[in-house]
Amino acid sequence: MRKIVLLAGIVFLSFALYGSFAADDAVEGRCMTCHREVTPGLYNQWEESEHALHSITCYDCHSANRRDPDAFQHEGAYIATLVTPQDCGQCHERQMEEFTHSHHARAGQILESADAYLAHVVGGAPAAIAGCENCHGANMVIDDSSPNHLARRSWPNSGIGRINPDGTLGACNACHSRHSFSRRQARQPETCGKCHLGPDHPQKEVYEESKHGIAYYTNVDEMNLGAERWVVGQDYYEAPTCATCHLSATREQPITHEARARISWNLRAPISSLMEDWEERRENMQDVCSACHGTVFVDGHYAQLDGLVHLYNEKFARPATQIMSILRENGSLESPASFSNDIEWIYWELWHHEGRRTRHGAAMMGPDYTWWHGIYEVGQHFYFDFIPAVRETEDEEAIQFIDNLLENDPMHNWLSRNTDELKGEIRSGEMQEMFEDFYQPVLEDR
Amino acid sequence: MRKAYQAFLKGISADLFSRIGAVLVTSSILSFLLFELLRIGGIVTNAYVGLITYMAFPLLFFIGLALIPAGWYRLKKKTGKSYRELAQTQFSAENVQAYETGSRIMRTILLLSLVNVIFIGGAGLRTLHFMDGPEFCGTACHTVMHPEWISYQESPHAHVRCVDCHVGEGVDALVDAKLNGMWQIISATFHLYEQPIPTPVHNLRPARETCEHCHWPDKFLGNRIITHVHYNTDEFSTPEYTTLMLKIGTGAEGMEEGSHWHVAETNEVRYASIDDERQEMIWVEREMEDGSVRRFTNTRLRSSGVTGEEHIRSMDCVDCHNRATHIYEYPDDAVDQRMQRGFYNLNLPFLKERVLGAIINEYPSVERAMVGIENHIRGYYRRDYSDDYSGWSESIDEAVAVTQAIYHRNIHPGMDVVWGSYPNHLGHRNSRGCFRCHNTNMVEESGERISMECTLCHSILAYESDVPFEFLRSSDEVDSTRQEIREYLHGEFRETSGL
Repeated sequence: MRKIVLLAGIVFLSFALYGSFAADDAVEGRCMTCHREVTPGLYNQWEESEHALHSITCYDCHSANRRDPDAFQHEGAYIATLVTPQDCGQCHERQMEEFTHSHHARAGQILESADAYLAHVVGGAPAAIAGCENCHGANMVIDDSSPNHLARRSWPNSGIGRINPDGTLGACNACHSRHSFSRRQARQPETCGKCHLGPDHPQKEVYEESKHGIAYYTNVDEMNLGAERWVVGQDYYEAPTCATCHLSATREQPITHEARARISWNLRAPISSLMEDWEERRENMQDVCSACHGTVFVDGHYAQLDGLVHLYNEKFARPATQIMSILRENGSLESPASFSNDIEWIYWELWHHEGRRTRHGAAMMGPDYTWWHGIYEVGQHFYFDFIPAVRETEDEEAIQFIDNLLENDPMHNWLSRNTDELKGEIRSGEMQEMFEDFYQPVLEDR
Repeated sequence: MRKAYQAFLKGISADLFSRIGAVLVTSSILSFLLFELLRIGGIVTNAYVGLITYMAFPLLFFIGLALIPAGWYRLKKKTGKSYRELAQTQFSAENVQAYETGSRIMRTILLLSLVNVIFIGGAGLRTLHFMDGPEFCGTACHTVMHPEWISYQESPHAHVRCVDCHVGEGVDALVDAKLNGMWQIISATFHLYEQPIPTPVHNLRPARETCEHCHWPDKFLGNRIITHVHYNTDEFSTPEYTTLMLKIGTGAEGMEEGSHWHVAETNEVRYASIDDERQEMIWVEREMEDGSVRRFTNTRLRSSGVTGEEHIRSMDCVDCHNRATHIYEYPDDAVDQRMQRGFYNLNLPFLKERVLGAIINEYPSVERAMVGIENHIRGYYRRDYSDDYSGWSESIDEAVAVTQAIYHRNIHPGMDVVWGSYPNHLGHRNSRGCFRCHNTNMVEESGERISMECTLCHSILAYESDVPFEFLRSSDEVDSTRQEIREYLHGEFRETSGL
């Protein structure tokens, strides 16, 4: 008897399995019968895409398992609106692996950061959703009452570090916009400019100001942006875009989906530091440069960047950071909540706004951002906003630190000296001498 | 006779161990002979069978042979009887009876031992011989060696055995290779190897010892004319010709010239590269026959702060010919070469661009790659040239097949071997090659630099030209904008060739 039940079970299961495969076959290709009428833009984008050429249809990306939290039944099939890196990774395996281990993929996990704190206390949840999360990526909320099971406050969202219901991090369509997934679009600077702009990290504006940006906008038609192979120096040579330097293929390197693979300095933190394996990362970037520039040119650029980063670090970032920690340790800040004191805002903008503009400006050859939008403001705010605010706290240790700095640090003691004497030192080159050892990646102990 | 042998076998199988041993010995020797006969008779030709015949059977034979005395020893321990007493119970009395020349059983054992020695010797020789064959190296560790095996079979050295270059001659080399092989078995079994296998390989046989068996430096190679045809990614896959006369020269004493000057007997070229990667040089020096040395130091390292351990190496064949056999193509070159050889119908519009795009796409597996390449080429013509598609179908089929073959030849996802994993230092087209030393940063104390004149190594007869040998043609035949350089290069060529 038991054997018969078992046999019947196997027969039933095989039919069920067959049935489920048969259903897939029946669904494949059927979506478009309606969607070319309902959403013709979407359909036409897809039809012109490489995906259509390779017979990758709606169902290849949007099919769902019945048990997926965001799966919903639609015309007899289980569908998910959200396409996650796991879906794309079915074909684009290496890209998915690289991306999900990249810094970009973690952009959505910022709730513990000062940025997210500010958005929620100074702004409020609607601002965090429509602002921050649309670049950083939302934590997707499931709402079973919604037709596609996605809550309205987290959908739509194409933030690059989206936290998906299947546990994956990221949204490929942050850069590879649906449904054309155009190479041309991913390669042009406007794509990165959706997020990398503004007062706190104006990479897009710095690029536009730089010789690279000028060359790009002059020659955009000759950039071969839609080419199958896009190796800098070979398939195009007029200018680099963001993708060229940070992601795209060179003669030596394949495409990468880790935007930090060629970045040697962390220019984001309050005090800049060299990244882990910075030598290898710098070599990777220098390989990109070498498509158009000689080694002496490239070495010179890096010497100038290193010099500027050390200047920012040593002259302003380190002292200001140290003073803030003295004030916090001594309990000298008036209000308890973070960002409820004026001096916290001054310090924040010192590194997070003008401090980053300084460093990004130097890294990507935007002189105006390095100086006027950059270290000019860092200096002015340090001397005439930050220091007075420190004195107002009446914290003796902090005030002593400042007095000592202004009196004994050769980079700061100009404040109490004679102008003619200072100008003389600038003219003679004596003033510049103290920075002699700045033009290298690792600063010897000072 | 058969009966006697059966009785002997029965007698010797006193214990379970001995019985298994006797079975193994008998069956492995018979199987070996059978397989060997089949191979000699040409009935079995599969190279993989060698692994069983020459490795598995002799191994089983040895295990069996060891098990027989082990069984007797076990029996002796268990019963507490002596070997003589055991022999008396196992064999008939007449067989154990001692004669002047020993007992009959002793004589049988001696005779069979002689057979064994002959078999072991013969099989051992066959095993060593088999292990010297490329099929063994290329297919035994099939995952690890697959990329090398494929590229080797299509290389200029496809008829030279692996061991001729990688093992060398003499007992020392053999022992070294076998010990090294033990580690490789462990490394392959427990997946301790890196993917892809890193280069340069530091423990190769000295190149001068192996390469110079056939290619001795005194051999005069003189000048050699080669033409690269490069096809553009435009609608017509328009060809461009670059023709060079390579000044290869010779290392022969008194005649040192051309690129092979580097390995002439009369001078030694040494270099130190950062971390022995042979990419970025710390210094390069040349020792003359009279012992004087000229050293060129990399001035860039001083200014960029790059440091690394100094490894000194004397230049030999593999510093330039680092891919003399295991040649991996570059995608552009791979397509250009096959187009030049007429494998593609160049009337298909944008063919170069489509083919190139198809092979440089990344695919997660070989199977996906085959489908992807086909879709990429066929799908494009079907969609964008639907009117002409059916008329071109044969050419498109060919294009797909040739392109898939390019992929098979060069890309090996199993070992993470992709485009550019193994750069080729010969020349300077796709890697730094010659420019690793011949660059403006290498400066002597006197301020002298290593020359990097184009015409030092090659006369240029056409450079990305519309027609082959552009610079040898008269001005009314070709584009007149390059008049001056054409005259110069033409002159240089005549002078070099002694015309």
